[in-house]
Amino acid sequence: MLRTAVATVCLALACAFAGGWLTHGFRVWTAEGARRLEVVRHPVAVPAVRAVGPGIDGARPLPEWLGDDGGVTLVDFVYTRCRAVCAALGSGFQQLQARIGAAPAGSPDTRVRLLSISFDPGHDDVAVLQRYAAELKADARIWRFATVPDAGELRRLLGLFQVVVIPDGLGGYEHNAALLVLDGRGRLVRIFDYARIDDALHFARALAADEERG
Amino acid sequence: MIAHGLRRAGAARPARRPRSRPHARSWSRFRPLSWLRSWPRLRHWRELQAPAGLAVLALLALPPVRGAMESGMASHMLLQFPLLVAAGAALAAACPAAWRAALARWNALGIAGLAASAGVLGLAMVPRLLDLALVDARVEVVKWLALAACGAALRLSWRAAGVVVQGFFLGNVLPMTAVAGMLYQDAPQRLCNGYRLDEQLLVGQALVWGALAVAAAWLVLAGWRLSRAPR
Repeated sequence: MLRTAVATVCLALACAFAGGWLTHGFRVWTAEGARRLEVVRHPVAVPAVRAVGPGIDGARPLPEWLGDDGGVTLVDFVYTRCRAVCAALGSGFQQLQARIGAAPAGSPDTRVRLLSISFDPGHDDVAVLQRYAAELKADARIWRFATVPDAGELRRLLGLFQVVVIPDGLGGYEHNAALLVLDGRGRLVRIFDYARIDDALHFARALAADEERG
Repeated sequence: MIAHGLRRAGAARPARRPRSRPHARSWSRFRPLSWLRSWPRLRHWRELQAPAGLAVLALLALPPVRGAMESGMASHMLLQFPLLVAAGAALAAACPAAWRAALARWNALGIAGLAASAGVLGLAMVPRLLDLALVDARVEVVKWLALAACGAALRLSWRAAGVVVQGFFLGNVLPMTAVAGMLYQDAPQRLCNGYRLDEQLLVGQALVWGALAVAAAWLVLAGWRLSRAPR
């Protein structure tokens, strides 16, 4: 019976250890939760993939897009045919754009930028993105649109940011939509639920103010 | 009445067989599936189990089969997982008697094996495991080994456990499964980035119903066993 007790304790400890690893110390249960926690602990540098978009001549490496204003960028991943969750993201970004646009000059809000990246370059070329931006009344000084035409580079970007895109069975996609905050150095530092635009903007504003102070 | 008495009195036929328990009812000798043994090929069913388990594992590991099974949450969790457990249990049939005896010394009443099985089954219901198994080959390999080992452990522990330890094991695992199923159904968002919400709902319902079905089946079986046990 003693041997059984020892074996039971060892096996239970092994299970607990595996569970602790799987759930980051019993804090998260889903891959999305783990992604958000991992990003906070270890920011992910945006890879130098070439991105195209309206208002940009040719393809530019994505880090350059982010470095343009040296500010903080809120990024979402979308596809323009999406009518479900991207619509929510779109209206969230419209509200963010309005608030950033209404901020007084010199406030940290003015250094927050928005970027929507399409993961469906097969359909969403520059012209489609241009139309989509017009539909959403995007102000190009605040809110830009891009896509990564090269399939391998797109996979690399999605893989690094753990953006998972699956077919939804209706001809569209399901994807783990969220608000991604990238700091001035082009690192993904925080991920917010797409419904929490206030929190995302507060965080981005604080980050921009921090960066301004150096 | 008379005919009955005559037949008794005639004693032309000897008693059918000597009985140790004269009051045992005839249905207590009921052996489910005993008719299968009369089918010649299935006489060697015991020897066939391990190869069958191996064949199932090999079939499941074929890239097209694995891809198809893991493309949906329901087939991943409700088909592949149980098949891996079953294959592990079938493979345990090949465990030599000497190993069994050695293992049994560390597994009195099947407690160690059932505890480990409960742990593995609990981990298998963490949504992140499903997502990680899709993208991380190491996790996928460990998942396969753990589920097959869980099946083998269940088989090697089940009989030794007896009704009490079995009941304790199921009393933990089945409510855990049902609660996981309810959480899967109640989650407003997708728990797995790799799977759709409608499948999550289906899996949640299946987990609840599966737990209920296993509980009912075990109760019937345990009741039947207990009723047969010598007083």
